[in-house]
Amino acid sequence: MNNFFVPSNIRPSCRAGLMLLASAALAGTLAIAGCSKSNNATSSAASGKKMYTICLLPKEKDIPYFTSCAAGARAAAKQLGDVKLIYDGPVHGAATKAAAMIHKWTLQGVNVIAVSPNDPDVLAPAMKRALKKGVHVITWDADGLPGTRQYFVNQASARRIGYTLMDTLAKDIGPHPKGPIAIITATLTAANQNAWIHFIKIRLKKYPGLKLVSIQPSHDDQRRAFQITQHLLQAYPNLKGIIAVSSAAFPGAAEAIKQAGQSGKVQITGLSTPDDMRAYVLNGTVKSVILWNTHALGALTIRVAEALASGKLKPGQKTFNAGPLGIKKIVGHQVLLGPLMVFNKKNIGKYHF
Amino acid sequence: MTATNGMNALHPAGNKNHGTGPAAGPGALKRLASFPWWHEVILAILLICLLTYAGSVAPMFLRPGVQIGLSDRLWNVALLALPMMMIILTGGIDLSVGSTMSLSAVVFALTFTHGAPLWLACVAAVATGLACGFLNGIFVAWVRVHPLIVTLATLAAFRGVAEGISLGRGISGFPPGFQAIAHHNILGLRPEGWLFIAAAAYTAIVLAKAPFGRYLYAIGHNEMAARYSGIPTAKMKLFLYSLSGMAAGAAALFAVARVDTARANLGYGMELKVITAVVFGGVSIFGGRGNIVGVIMGLLLIYETREFISWQWNNDNLISIIIGGLLITSVLLQVALRAGKTAQ
Repeated sequence: MNNFFVPSNIRPSCRAGLMLLASAALAGTLAIAGCSKSNNATSSAASGKKMYTICLLPKEKDIPYFTSCAAGARAAAKQLGDVKLIYDGPVHGAATKAAAMIHKWTLQGVNVIAVSPNDPDVLAPAMKRALKKGVHVITWDADGLPGTRQYFVNQASARRIGYTLMDTLAKDIGPHPKGPIAIITATLTAANQNAWIHFIKIRLKKYPGLKLVSIQPSHDDQRRAFQITQHLLQAYPNLKGIIAVSSAAFPGAAEAIKQAGQSGKVQITGLSTPDDMRAYVLNGTVKSVILWNTHALGALTIRVAEALASGKLKPGQKTFNAGPLGIKKIVGHQVLLGPLMVFNKKNIGKYHF
Repeated sequence: MTATNGMNALHPAGNKNHGTGPAAGPGALKRLASFPWWHEVILAILLICLLTYAGSVAPMFLRPGVQIGLSDRLWNVALLALPMMMIILTGGIDLSVGSTMSLSAVVFALTFTHGAPLWLACVAAVATGLACGFLNGIFVAWVRVHPLIVTLATLAAFRGVAEGISLGRGISGFPPGFQAIAHHNILGLRPEGWLFIAAAAYTAIVLAKAPFGRYLYAIGHNEMAARYSGIPTAKMKLFLYSLSGMAAGAAALFAVARVDTARANLGYGMELKVITAVVFGGVSIFGGRGNIVGVIMGLLLIYETREFISWQWNNDNLISIIIGGLLITSVLLQVALRAGKTAQ
């Protein structure tokens, strides 16, 4: 019962060295753990004021859109003063991981969980359980299933987004727009995108000269959007415009138009962040970029959450006072953020997110 | 092999130096180095350190209610780790467990939504898992393709089929009675937990006492020699891969019950979590070495580390960094220990 391992010829001095290396690795690991700031939900504020722990869950952590929402949320938490904000989400957007986080926060007994559900079906059991345990649950950016949340902080109605996209493209093409146009979407089953496309099609009737010839999925992949746009340009040589309804598809499509030398001849508009589109706006490929104010979306979410936890927001209220963000309308269970922003050559330099 | 070598059934390698070990030289250090359970002891020490630290900074984390509540994410990996351990002991690997889960889940949901009773849908899911595993087994045992290649192919193929027959859609809305199997405790533990404990106990007995267990180590050590000694290597492999598939089918049911949704992306990346836990638990990836105590320690250490980091720091990025650091530490310690043994 002596030798667990098959013997080989390694000198004892090597062993000491390896042990040292192993301890160093362990120490390094612990150091990383120790350095990271603790933001545990159970720790309380020193001031003695009642603190509300609010957890903000994005669809996917570490992508620019959600990072900029989080920046707005942090600023709002600071202004309010009675909010302890926890911002965390799955790094690769796995819905089961998001569900586990909601479950964990429920066990910790936080006050509010604000969810942007990447898969409403998968998250529904965890959200329902949180509500049952007395945790306030709201959704933001995308809605959950009925019965899983108390409020939905909605950046803009699908109608407004669809109409604005169509009107903007028509305006960018010029007076009396005429010719074929195409849409590049995320996936053919994406709920948000399909709702927007539905309203784009309704608004299209206002422009009898324009004809929607193709709707292509990009799978939220910039390279794929680039290739699809190249194919579209070849298949429809007189293509007049493209609407990219996915923030990943928009820069890819714009790059394809630029490389094909079609800047200015084929108009493109869509939803994306100013940072991702600045170069294309400045070089003239893109005239208008449309998005809601992501900072304000994060901030409004935190303000609604805080009001819900402290009892300031009561059921049946028709408006909500969001402090510096102004008075927001409440329609049913939805708190509406308000108008969309249109970024163009004149104003895009002022926005950084 | 006689009954006196009971422990060596877990460590056949221990026989190699029989008779020379203690006689080779005196000294406490050398006797310490020849202790066969070092790896398990180190994992246990690390686990105790972690839990002590966790208890001091976040006492709430150690509450039984919290631990049981969080354990949802442990059992799935644990269930699959048992057959995976035995497969790796023979020198094989099964990369397709996550995809098998996904296919079983989709088959379950489609059977149910097409009007079959719940029990039949459950049977269909487990049978699908079994069939997937059997297919792997046929290729590995009879066609004799390397398991890495076979299961790499089925890793892609099973998920592809799952995506195809479900058209990428999620299927939700199962009866509350079914969802309860993942949300309600029996005698203070999830049903999945009890299933794992029973399976682990049985596996431990088989590995230590039954010929099947010894044959596993023999195959892992030298498959040719094992076959010439009359060990039914092909049949055993066929059995192991089928078992792995069946476990994936069962795990899929619990996973679907937890989120009330069956979708083709279920179990994505599961194979790596399972293999990591098994290898971290001291099972040699080349086969023939390792034991169930180590695997359970490995599972617990990885799981507690992950859950504690998430509990305390709410930082998903940090988890992979620290788990990675832990794995490197364990590998270095293993190498150091092996070097120590040879110093005798």
